Amino acid sequence: MSSTAIDAPAADRFLSGPWPRFLGRRLLRLVVSLWVLVTFSFLIVHLVPGDPVRAALGSRASATSVAEWNARLGLNDPLLTQYADYVSGLFQGRLGESLQLRLPVDQVISERLPNTLQLVALAFLLCVLVAVPLGALLAIRTQNGRHRGSELGFTAGAVVLTTIPDFCLAVGLVALLGVSLELLPVAGDSGTSSLVIPVLALAVGPAAALARIVRVEMLGVLGQDYVRTARAKRLPPRRVYLRHALPNALTATLTVGGLILTSLIAGTVLVENVIAWPGLGPTLVRSIIAKDYPMVQGIVLVYGTLVLLVNLLVDVALALVDPRSTVRES
Amino acid sequence: MSVLELRGLTVRYGHGSSAHQAVDGVDLTVAEGSIVGLVGESGSGKSTLGKAAVGLVAPSGGEILLDGADALRKRRRGERRPIQMVFQDPYSSLNPRMTIGEAIAEGMRGAGGRASRRAEVARLLDLVRLDPALAGRLPSDLSGGQRQRIAVARALAARPDVIIADEITSALDVSVQGALLNLVRELQRQLGLSLLFISHNLAVVRYVSDAIAVMRDGRIVEQGSTERLLAQPTDPYTRTLLESVPRFARVTEVPR
Amino acid sequence: MSATNLATPVVITPSRGRGRGLLRTLLGTPLGIAAVTSVAIVLLLALLAPVIWGDAADAYHTDALRQGPSAEHLAGTDSLGRDILLRVLVATRLSVGLALGATAIAVTLGLLLGTLPAVAGRRVGRFVAAAIDVAVAFPALLLAIFFAVIFGVGEVGTMVALGVAGGPWFARLTLTLSATVASRDFVAAARVNGVSRGRILLRHVLPNIGEPLAINATLGAALNLLAFAGLSFLGIGVQAPSYDWGRLLNEGLNGIYVNPWAAIAPGVAIVLAGLAFNLTGELAAQVIGRRTREKAPREPLPGPDDAPALPVIEHGGGDDERETLLDVRDLWVRFPSGGRWVAPVRGIDLRLHAGESVGVVGESGSGKSLTALAIAQLLQEPAAVAARTLRFDGHDLRDSSSRQTRAALADSLAMIFQDPMSSLNPAMRVGPQLAEVATAHHGASRRGALAQAVQQLSAVRIPDPERRARQYPHEFSGGMRQRAMIGIGLMGTPRLLIADEPTTALDVTVQRQVLELLSAVRAEADSALLLISHDIAVVAGMCERVVVMYAGVVVEDLPVAELLAGPRHPYTRALLAALPDMETPRERPLATIPGRPPAPAELTGGCPFAARCAVASDRCREQEPPLATLADTGAGHRVACWHPQAGAVGAADVKTETEAPR
Repeated sequence: MSSTAIDAPAADRFLSGPWPRFLGRRLLRLVVSLWVLVTFSFLIVHLVPGDPVRAALGSRASATSVAEWNARLGLNDPLLTQYADYVSGLFQGRLGESLQLRLPVDQVISERLPNTLQLVALAFLLCVLVAVPLGALLAIRTQNGRHRGSELGFTAGAVVLTTIPDFCLAVGLVALLGVSLELLPVAGDSGTSSLVIPVLALAVGPAAALARIVRVEMLGVLGQDYVRTARAKRLPPRRVYLRHALPNALTATLTVGGLILTSLIAGTVLVENVIAWPGLGPTLVRSIIAKDYPMVQGIVLVYGTLVLLVNLLVDVALALVDPRSTVRES
Repeated sequence: MSVLELRGLTVRYGHGSSAHQAVDGVDLTVAEGSIVGLVGESGSGKSTLGKAAVGLVAPSGGEILLDGADALRKRRRGERRPIQMVFQDPYSSLNPRMTIGEAIAEGMRGAGGRASRRAEVARLLDLVRLDPALAGRLPSDLSGGQRQRIAVARALAARPDVIIADEITSALDVSVQGALLNLVRELQRQLGLSLLFISHNLAVVRYVSDAIAVMRDGRIVEQGSTERLLAQPTDPYTRTLLESVPRFARVTEVPR
Repeated sequence: MSATNLATPVVITPSRGRGRGLLRTLLGTPLGIAAVTSVAIVLLLALLAPVIWGDAADAYHTDALRQGPSAEHLAGTDSLGRDILLRVLVATRLSVGLALGATAIAVTLGLLLGTLPAVAGRRVGRFVAAAIDVAVAFPALLLAIFFAVIFGVGEVGTMVALGVAGGPWFARLTLTLSATVASRDFVAAARVNGVSRGRILLRHVLPNIGEPLAINATLGAALNLLAFAGLSFLGIGVQAPSYDWGRLLNEGLNGIYVNPWAAIAPGVAIVLAGLAFNLTGELAAQVIGRRTREKAPREPLPGPDDAPALPVIEHGGGDDERETLLDVRDLWVRFPSGGRWVAPVRGIDLRLHAGESVGVVGESGSGKSLTALAIAQLLQEPAAVAARTLRFDGHDLRDSSSRQTRAALADSLAMIFQDPMSSLNPAMRVGPQLAEVATAHHGASRRGALAQAVQQLSAVRIPDPERRARQYPHEFSGGMRQRAMIGIGLMGTPRLLIADEPTTALDVTVQRQVLELLSAVRAEADSALLLISHDIAVVAGMCERVVVMYAGVVVEDLPVAELLAGPRHPYTRALLAALPDMETPRERPLATIPGRPPAPAELTGGCPFAARCAVASDRCREQEPPLATLADTGAGHRVACWHPQAGAVGAADVKTETEAPR
């Protein structure tokens, strides 16, 4: 409330409110999750059956080079020592060395991660910008069982679009826009036009899913007592929808939005492979098939951390939008 | 005939700085074959007290005694549960996928054979004035008042000494409430049960109870025989509560 | 797993009753038949295709390498000249089989993990739940890739990886669903009876969550189908020479310039099969979510829709000379139900003078709240409202689209609802919720409106109004929220306050304060009051006149003083006799009314109360009595009864037998 006098300094009010407690708990959860993630990624090398170095270098590699790599990766040390080394390496930004590329893992990741993030960010943006207005408008149009035709068409369309997996869509778009019509580049990153196919392929399904969820949430909110109160105030419909209904619908949608954002991160693995995008996806797949475990470890760690950060972001956003959630949390 | 005694009963929710004392050192006795009414407003801890008495929430202090022995001691499988409860919401207290008969029979102890169980279910349904033929039906076929009778029958199936009735009429309409109250009073006399009758409705509590305890913020602020407590309330909160009950007598005062 | 579908978990609350079999209901609609049939076809193909076309699909046609579609090879051939369409058909078995296998693993794992907290102790339960929460945060596809690294590249390793990756998700679902069931009182009752945890799980929890789990398993199968295709496409899943759709897609993509159909055909197969499972799951979810909506019936609406409007009466009934503020005649509210119209409100007549206070009492289902909402023009489709006369303060409300009418409603009609928590916007501070009335209708500035809101909060006796205006509704107590609601109504200049069960959700001590406030603000604003309540004592204490509703009609309309002296309708009398108050003799059984009110669809014609009435005759069962004044009552007392009673209410006013079973 900017127009009323603020009697206590903002910082004081913040500290006395539920926020410090909420943030404390949430950060603790992040740290625990990160630790679990680091431990799991560390264990990858130790959980795979057989000698991982032998597996990576192939059966024709000499015993000496296998031994040499084992020593270089510290795989001969006691497990706890290796774990300590691994964790301390992480703190210094070291992620080990790729067996296949013979390059530091962190170097490869820092080259390729921005390309992946670019796709994720653009796809998410597109998804939200399309889905939220579409879902909300359809909810308003189809409330109380009106316009059943629109509802049926929308739902059917959304189910179909959500069923088309992103990589199939990418293949379809490549076949249509790239090969047949020759409008867009088929593969690789050669400027803005290269972004169209992967971003579309990534965004269409989630956008359809999100639009459906926004519609359902919005319909639920439109049936709430406080929307009836707003109508009883005879506010203009626009204000009822935008000021009273939509913010409450988005609160519930935010959680799902976070899920979509995290699964977009996973989706890039497939789509990047379809169009040979210079992101982390193709590297991850190549490393898995080549059994380049240090590389796999590093990328798993990066993806996992991204997911955890998104979750943190969603929770904080939720707490900002929904004043009750900080209280619920603690 | 049994006595239910709560001594220094305390129930705490949460821990650390956010802990909340829902029930705070309550002493309460439900004498043999009597009905004790427990009134209080929402958040007073009256429902928590009821749940603690049947073992649904763990007390953090104090004792719950039945005829002088620990009422919540571990019981063998198949052993009789002498304290039973009837819940507030008749739409939540019956499993939608269990027939009325199955629901009632679940609380029975002993009586092994299928035929004898069926006979017992029929007897109990008759006891709560319902058609024994309802045994094969699902709860969705029944009205709120009928469901609440089933809940009473289920409680009686365990052949209890004490019944905790937690707001059993507050989900019902006035015209249905009366019949249930009559039934409960009648059964209590007929079977010699001890009854802890929890309600926010002072008029209802007054009607059924021999003694009344008034609860606020987890404590009992006043208790005594119904006549005494209503005629000469000593605690200021009891007086406020009594004054707040809407009465017809006011009718003549207000209109312009 | 497709990035997309992961985001749409279908969490359906366990259904309340055992309806018809889910599959049978599903097969009752054309779309349902189509969905189930397509799943059957996919499964049949998975079973038979390799047997029929297995060899043909592996046959090399060296004369036709990498050809486009032709009559011989409908989708062309691959680099070894094998027929792509046949290979796509044969690949059904591996694609679908592996997906179903992964789903089975996920569901089993999920059930085991998800029910563990219910069976094991609280500590174990907490730990498991926390672990599941951490795992669910990661997209299943990432988990699957991670596990595939460990279990090894190949079809079995990938199937197990996908299954294990889906496990936490199903565990979460099981946990959520069982928590919903476990919080219900029948589980508490079983615990009181000493029923073991295992038996509670088997008898009470699992039967109530089975259907949503089955539906989610179907949707999960669709997800796994797409995910497996994705992993095979990446080269992690099925390895050559075996092939599934994902592998075929991968191979097709390599030759996409030569024959795009080699990529499109397996892609289409993936989508169609996924769609079959998805559609079935979605439809089933709609069935048990009871999301089927009522269509408007074709039969004509019962009620006064085409009847001519009645002439306006400026000084309605009685000897009251005050101006008529609200004039409602023959008000109907109808809803579609099961292909027919039902009318929970059937021709209400109601008149209020300026400054008058009228209470409407009735049991649940009597139509009293619907009447209030209909008058306030707050009912929406599918409800159909009609009246011969519906005038408020000189405006015809039946034409609520007109600007003046809307303005009149905004300024002169204030509503107060039952549940003050749900009636205030939880995501908006309280001050602006009052202030927006002034900004929207009186053109006030934000600052001015807020100052007005603070003033109004203080007028409804909210202490420290400036601080309170900045708070959210959840920081208010129940009584204070209701005061804020009253404050919202007072932002205009109300001539009529409609309060719909304003104190039902409140404690008695708070109820008294709110009622006193309501009386005070009414007196100050000199507005009329329409108080809807199930509590006849509340109404009697607040109002001059009482309107008694039963089964959608007004059965009696009388001054409060006559409520004590002796109402005439048997229902009113029975209601008074059945209500225990602080004077009811404790030694006698309470008077009761047998049976229950009829549902709108059960009305047969006669007096709706006849079946429960102590004095009903054959005439009562055949003819519905009109609401009229009696020879010996004043003009302000109307009764709808063929056998009106007289004198003080006594024991004779109720049937004494107990409720008869249906």
